[in-house]
Amino acid sequence: MTHDTTSHPAPLLARRGFLVALGAVAAAAPRALLGQAQGGTLPGATMDGDGYRPVRLPPKATIERTLTSGERDATERRLSCPCPCTLDVFTCRTSMPCGFSPRMHSDVVSLSAGGYTEQEILDAFEAEYGEVVLMSPRKAGFNLVGWLAPFLAILTGGILIFWLLRGWRRPEGAPAIDPAVRRLPTDATPEELARLDRAVREADR
Amino acid sequence: MILLGELSLWVAVLMALWATAVSFAGGKLRRADLVASGERAIYATAALVVLASAGLLTALITHDFSLRFVASYTSANLPTIYTITAFWGGQAGSMLFWCLILALYSALAVFANRRANRELMPWVTGTLGVVILFFLATTALATNPFERLPFVPADGRGMNPQLQNPAMAIHPPNLYLGYIATVVPFAFAIAALITRRLDAAWLAAVRRWALVSWFFLTVGITLGMWWAYVELGWGGFWAWDPVENASLLPWLTGTAFLHSIMVQEKRGMLRKWNVVLVVSTFLLSILGTFITRSGVITSVHSFAQSAVGTWFATFLVLSTVVTGYLVATRLRDLETPVELESMISREAAFLYNNLLLVGMAFSVLWGTLFPIISEAVKGTKITVGAPFFNAVNVPLALMLLALTGIGPLIAWRKASVANLQRQFAVPVAAGLVAGVILFALGMRDGYAIVAYALGAFVVATIVQEFQKGVGARRRMHGEAIPAALFRLVARNRRRYGGYIVHFGIVVLFLGIAGMAFKEEFDVTIQPGETFRATDPYGQEWAFRSNGVSTYEVLNRRTAAITLEMVQDGRPRGLLVSDKRQYFDALGRPTFEPSTEVGILETARQDVYLVLVGVNPDESAEVRISFNPLVVWVWIGGTLMALGGLIVMWPQTERRKMQAGYVASMAPRRSVVLPAEV
Repeated sequence: MTHDTTSHPAPLLARRGFLVALGAVAAAAPRALLGQAQGGTLPGATMDGDGYRPVRLPPKATIERTLTSGERDATERRLSCPCPCTLDVFTCRTSMPCGFSPRMHSDVVSLSAGGYTEQEILDAFEAEYGEVVLMSPRKAGFNLVGWLAPFLAILTGGILIFWLLRGWRRPEGAPAIDPAVRRLPTDATPEELARLDRAVREADR
Repeated sequence: MILLGELSLWVAVLMALWATAVSFAGGKLRRADLVASGERAIYATAALVVLASAGLLTALITHDFSLRFVASYTSANLPTIYTITAFWGGQAGSMLFWCLILALYSALAVFANRRANRELMPWVTGTLGVVILFFLATTALATNPFERLPFVPADGRGMNPQLQNPAMAIHPPNLYLGYIATVVPFAFAIAALITRRLDAAWLAAVRRWALVSWFFLTVGITLGMWWAYVELGWGGFWAWDPVENASLLPWLTGTAFLHSIMVQEKRGMLRKWNVVLVVSTFLLSILGTFITRSGVITSVHSFAQSAVGTWFATFLVLSTVVTGYLVATRLRDLETPVELESMISREAAFLYNNLLLVGMAFSVLWGTLFPIISEAVKGTKITVGAPFFNAVNVPLALMLLALTGIGPLIAWRKASVANLQRQFAVPVAAGLVAGVILFALGMRDGYAIVAYALGAFVVATIVQEFQKGVGARRRMHGEAIPAALFRLVARNRRRYGGYIVHFGIVVLFLGIAGMAFKEEFDVTIQPGETFRATDPYGQEWAFRSNGVSTYEVLNRRTAAITLEMVQDGRPRGLLVSDKRQYFDALGRPTFEPSTEVGILETARQDVYLVLVGVNPDESAEVRISFNPLVVWVWIGGTLMALGGLIVMWPQTERRKMQAGYVASMAPRRSVVLPAEV
């Protein structure tokens, strides 16, 4: 067994310092992670509906229109069921033995019959349960970080790749020998390498 | 046997500790005897974990309710098949099952390399030992399946009815096989980083393991989707639940690795990136396990919250920090002179593909963890559900679909205009024609049109490749088309297996996009009453209720509704959905009532019936859905797995050479040349 021990770059951090830092992180990080543990979407919520809060408003004086069944379903799809199902109210209420979603459905039906629009119904639920009752966060404030981060990450990655590729580009007229081939310890003749190059190009075609 | 199993578990912990210590010591001191001892200890650990597993299985099959695990997840009247699958149905048993697969994989990896990669193996064995030690110690100390109750109950609690499904019997083992296979590439990466032997040899050793992981994750995820669809009764197959997301994360980074490894093979580029992908895939597997088992994030799939969360969090943090340190201190060793001839080349296309795959992995991880981050920052809880994940991931997935067709057709190094015209003229035309036809037929869902047009484009590229290959074989060997097709795939498994995977992805997208046209109806229906509806294809359906019947069978009481279906005047048979209340051997109800859906499955659409409830006046509340093209999701997943199997299948060195694999990954004394073309 042989080990190449020559010309190693100096480590960024001394080994002892690293181990001390590692111990500190290992002790602190799990607690920080687990400190956020949740029981259900609603704190302490279970399938049996403990913590259900009625969302009722008096009917509007003048009811211009009520939601169609399709619009009502769409509204329920934007409401998160507080039980641990992680589904929306419309989906949960037929599939899970849930104490929340059938009652929340009744609330939506009642609010719709009272002349409330989809947005007003969502606002009423949010006033009662908090923002957690919406299936996706509002696009405002800190939530924008949540919405934009994936796109920003990909954009940054794209710029990075573009920058890297530009750096890797071979100057015009430079010999086109593949570094992978150049690096191999080989006793092949230039003619053989040329044949290999042709064969690779043929295989790629 | 049960006692022997319990003892074996504890001895296995010590054996894994020994394997770790002597392997690292053997590597450091260059002592062959210690290295050999470490490898034998890995075999012994595997044997001990097999014994421990046999002990638990014995306890399950003999209904030994003195064990908390057996009493918690089985009952005397549970069908035998589910009594066996209860092994992985609860936290403690599934941890032991995890240890079993991990130990067997490790033994296999050590055995397969008993004469290869000898410089790396002490460190590989040591790293495998650390991971086994962690899982065994967590199992033995935090969630021991052999823990005894202070009394012996007359019967057990039984199994959650939603787990009493054939898919659940095989879905978790497949996912575990996929998750855990990431440990072998991780161990090789760590060994390569420690020894600074960062040439391509370690990558060559792990490629097949990465494929094994990818294959089982693909099968596991597909089975999981099927289980959710047929068992949970919500009419879909993917809810962006945190546990679903956890299984997707290593699949995405693993897929990225399987593409980027080709760039290192062919061009010697992306060495740092491949190391990062390998270790990230493993760490994401551990993160996924942490999410599933800690209770830190709400999910209907999660195991009950338990002490293992702290263990996993600690292991995850330690692994991340150690791995990060190793990568950071070896960056200069990973430097390689690279040059790129063109930004329009296959290697560049693979980089774009990696960007999208890793970008999707980041967005899924970010969306999964953002509720925790938001609560920590703002102090208020939020929900990040399907609307967020769909908004972010659908455009990325469509771009990825486009690259699925573009990547394999672009030449390595530099694509000329002639090359692009020759390769893409027909596929682009196929995609455009498909899009225009669908629009002309009245389809107005933008994403769906793009998905189908891109699907047509990708299928055309694949057909074109097969056509060229088969044509060449026919010209050269005079073979008939079926024989030429078979030999083409058999002799170029990697390339054409990959095309089959890509075709499977297109089929999968076809099914997923079909759900954009789903129609649902909530109905209250009396016995003898008929409900009429129009499906997304404009066909008229009539559903006549035959009423609700109640009966008792095996370990459950059932209320079932039967609907007679007529489609455009043509009888289409009966559709049955039921609500079940399971009970134990003493007749006591166990768990909440569960739903069994009724499905009429066709290539065009599924008719999906869910019994929501029965009213006192004997009317029934049902939800009837028309789910277009769902069956293609399962077919797509199966095709992907089949393609993966073809890619994985061993190929002799001679055939590899015939297939044109000239740039060998392992350093050799001479370059292998193909015969003159």
